[in-house]
Amino acid sequence: MKSGQPNWNRIALNLSSVLVRWMLGAVFLYTGLSKALHPVDFLKLVRQYDLVQSSLVLNSIAAALPWFEIFCGLLLLAGVAVRGTALTLMLMLVPLTVLVFHRALAIESALAIPFCAVKFDCGCGTGVVFICAKLLENFLLILLSGWLLAGYGRQFSLRFDLIKPHPRQGEVGEIRE
Amino acid sequence: MATGRLPAVKWVLLEAAFVVVVGAVFAFAANRVSPRGLALTRNYFPEGTGRLVSATPLATLPQNAAGTNSMALDPAQLLAAELKEKGLQLADGSQAVQLFHDPRFKQGTVVFVDARGEQHYREGHIPGAYEFDPYRPEKYFDAVLPVCKAAEQIVVYCNGGDCDDSETAAILLRDVGIANQKLLVYGGGITEWATNGLPVELGGRNSGSLRNPNK
Repeated sequence: MKSGQPNWNRIALNLSSVLVRWMLGAVFLYTGLSKALHPVDFLKLVRQYDLVQSSLVLNSIAAALPWFEIFCGLLLLAGVAVRGTALTLMLMLVPLTVLVFHRALAIESALAIPFCAVKFDCGCGTGVVFICAKLLENFLLILLSGWLLAGYGRQFSLRFDLIKPHPRQGEVGEIRE
Repeated sequence: MATGRLPAVKWVLLEAAFVVVVGAVFAFAANRVSPRGLALTRNYFPEGTGRLVSATPLATLPQNAAGTNSMALDPAQLLAAELKEKGLQLADGSQAVQLFHDPRFKQGTVVFVDARGEQHYREGHIPGAYEFDPYRPEKYFDAVLPVCKAAEQIVVYCNGGDCDDSETAAILLRDVGIANQKLLVYGGGITEWATNGLPVELGGRNSGSLRNPNK
């Protein structure tokens, strides 16, 4: 690379990666807050999935999940432990998406309506949604988490790698100007 | 390349574990200090609460004799049957209106209980109804229990439709000693009430601020 000439592609990639990180952080902060502010409503929605019989476990899920999302959202916005957070979110989003999909299938079969016409409040923090839009949204969120997991979005982060002391040069995602 | 990646994967896994542990501690601590936080050991859904149509996946609804899904039944019939199974009685719209205009309502021996949250209550409730959020009952027992004990008929309602908070509230009241035969669950709830243009009180109980006051 010639010195003195900005690499616009890299700059664009870096900036868009940071935007992805901030957007993902904002999404989880918003959805977490909307649940944490109405925990009983969220508890009732979690209960509809009929996952657990124990009230202690049910309450724990409904009490902790919204604040955990807020925590992850804040980490992404600040740029702390980004890859660990992105991996955590992926591991959380995949089973949650499967659960939502299964519930939508049950509703589709009971009401005998097209799959994409199914709409319900899945407890995702965004109210009543059409299932196809929700699945698409979750798929996008998983993809964006994967993008951050690959090491992108390092710019403007407080401590991108929380544990790894010295990031190696040339690693994926280390895009330096 | 592959050998160089392995340590990186290890660090990311370690970091994720750190996020999970610290996040969980943060989450439970935040729930603890939040004024709206859930009490982990409380059973928010006493035995017998939870409406079939909303609490279980719809595909698992029981089949009727014709082999079709229960959703094909008249929703009012289905609700009445479910309530009867729980020892509760359903009140339809006309019964609720009749009780609202009953002279005993003015005397305080017919009581309406609103089983929705505080915010919904303030946005509009049946005039004179007592606020009773079944998920925060300790806040309302002092005001509601003496009134319910003295009443001859208690009409409990929530939003209507899939909302089962009125059932939860009725069962809770029954559990603390209110006679079962006094309790009626108004299935249509505030949605049906307001849709029919009946009076709705805004703000606190007896605030005097009414929508549709002449109905």
